[in-house]
Amino acid sequence: MTEEELDRPRSRKSIDGWRWGGRAFLALMLIYTALPMVWMLLTSIKSGFAAMQFPPQWWPDEPTLASYEKLLDPQNSVGQDFLRFFWNSLIVSVCTTVLAVLVAVPAAYAFSRFSFPGRRFLFFSVLLRNMFPAVIFLVPLFILMRMLGLVNTHGSLILTYLTFGLPLAIWLLKGFYDNIPIQLEQAARIDGATRFQAFLLIVTPLSVPGIIATAIYSFIGAWNEYIYAATFLTKNEQLTLPVGIQRFFSENTTDFPGLMAASFLMNVPVVVLFLVLQKYFVRALTEGAVKH
Amino acid sequence: MAEVVLRNVMKTYGTMRAVNDVSLTVQHGEFVALVGPSGCGKTTTLNLIAGLLPMSGGDIIIANRIVNDLDPKDRDIAMVFQNYALYPNKSVFKNLAFPLQMRKLPQSEIDRKVREAAKVLDITHLLDRKPRELSGGQQQRVALGRALVRDPAVFLMDEPLSNLDAKLRVQMRSEIKRFHQDLNATIIYVTHDQLEAVTMADKMAVMDGGILQQYDTPAKVFANPVNMFVASFIGSPAMSLVPLEMTSVDGAAALTSRAEGWTLPLSDFNARKVAKAASNKVVLGARHSTIRLHKTAVPGAVPAKVYTVEPTGDITFVQAFLAGAVVNISLPPSVEVAPDEQVWLDFDQDRIHLFDGETEIALQAD
Repeated sequence: MTEEELDRPRSRKSIDGWRWGGRAFLALMLIYTALPMVWMLLTSIKSGFAAMQFPPQWWPDEPTLASYEKLLDPQNSVGQDFLRFFWNSLIVSVCTTVLAVLVAVPAAYAFSRFSFPGRRFLFFSVLLRNMFPAVIFLVPLFILMRMLGLVNTHGSLILTYLTFGLPLAIWLLKGFYDNIPIQLEQAARIDGATRFQAFLLIVTPLSVPGIIATAIYSFIGAWNEYIYAATFLTKNEQLTLPVGIQRFFSENTTDFPGLMAASFLMNVPVVVLFLVLQKYFVRALTEGAVKH
Repeated sequence: MAEVVLRNVMKTYGTMRAVNDVSLTVQHGEFVALVGPSGCGKTTTLNLIAGLLPMSGGDIIIANRIVNDLDPKDRDIAMVFQNYALYPNKSVFKNLAFPLQMRKLPQSEIDRKVREAAKVLDITHLLDRKPRELSGGQQQRVALGRALVRDPAVFLMDEPLSNLDAKLRVQMRSEIKRFHQDLNATIIYVTHDQLEAVTMADKMAVMDGGILQQYDTPAKVFANPVNMFVASFIGSPAMSLVPLEMTSVDGAAALTSRAEGWTLPLSDFNARKVAKAASNKVVLGARHSTIRLHKTAVPGAVPAKVYTVEPTGDITFVQAFLAGAVVNISLPPSVEVAPDEQVWLDFDQDRIHLFDGETEIALQAD
């Protein structure tokens, strides 16, 4: 037996060691991220009593959808509140997303294609807002909103969320436009398109994945936001889901199955969005990593 | 008649003059190559003609219309890009149809013209494919097709062959030439490859540093380069340029290398040329085929030392040191020389070039 043959199994074992280590790590991460979700789901189908039991029931003895029925029943006061919060969240998030995309698309395109005085300065100043933790702006923005008479309106939240979402949307989209060869637009302009037609007919279809990624990003940011929503809105009928769920359940005795069912329902739109659009999202985040 | 006239065209970026006072006329049906090293302003010039960049000064006239302020779409031009710029989300058919749709032609007309162009370029079987499913050569053809489908006054081509591999490039070169002959099209073609320019173009415009150096037929540019830049840029292997000094032997003009201590007598014609030099610095230019190599000293020949020998089959190229410069010589393969061998060179006096050592401009006898 030569030395080489003796060596080979050992080196293979070390590769396997790494591979198994990697798998174990991934499994741990999976448990870490999935377990709370699983627990949320399980709790949401327990009865109130079963949820508080110790030692806990891993699988409920009597699974029930009562919490979901209560939350989604418009006849019931709990259901009325929940559905209203859900609707409020949807309005705020969709408005934020639509406005963010409408502003970010032309802004990002301009940053990517045109040279104008102050371009660099403007581009980096767009990021200024994101250099500070959100809470720092809570009081100044509140004062601003009060001066504008927007406290207790959804408009205040939409405006605020845009200040978070827009800079990132512009950066993300600019990267996308940078990757679309300028020759495509030039070709279109020579082929008979105006600048705007070239943008609309050639560039925009190619940037759809970027726009979708940007939209998901703004939507999730607005959908999950808590602090500003809790500060700017005081009237019960205006609350968004994160604030609504929290108030709603701490006012009564804590109804864990109800809380978990509401949390689960709150996650549904985000998860659905991700599942449907994830391929665009991943593409957007890796775009530009390699030169085509 | 689609004549293209550039009159004192300027393009500046701050103080940098990318295109500096370029004037030239492209006749109808002419194939003109804009050629020069990278950064010489040839692509910028093309983009100015296309209207993709605003001019800083001058006029561009296409088919008797001043187009300075016209959008690219209104200039009646078509352009083929280096990276083809095919619309990636459209099928080949839709790529070809796009320029016609933009001109609001009826669908039946579009259909007919696209199929016609596809037939000419032999891409009919590809019409349903997306650009990414095509090979480089096929993409190139589609790009050409998109240009010719609407019968423009002028075709602009920006290094259309440089993304192809060597074999395909030679093939497409003759196809584009064929395309030019068949359509009698006016073509302005940008390339950094002087061989492409020489082989394809009716006229070539040699540019350097944003300035048009020479604009003439390839044969004339090759035979009479106006300055040292053009002389060294056109032709392969490059023309050898040997900096020497003017002197006289028995009252007749000659060139000398003080460092190597030899003199090269000049013919009467060449003597009249060097008399025009601003100083006594003169650069001798000679193409490889105008230099004869001797293995022994002969009258009128100057000593050189062989540096490398490159047999290519038909011709053996030799590089030798002469007065501190490298000189290219071509030999029949039967002559054997070795590196570091001492050889003697003499020059075909009727075909050598002489340049002013200060201004680098070709010296002309009256």
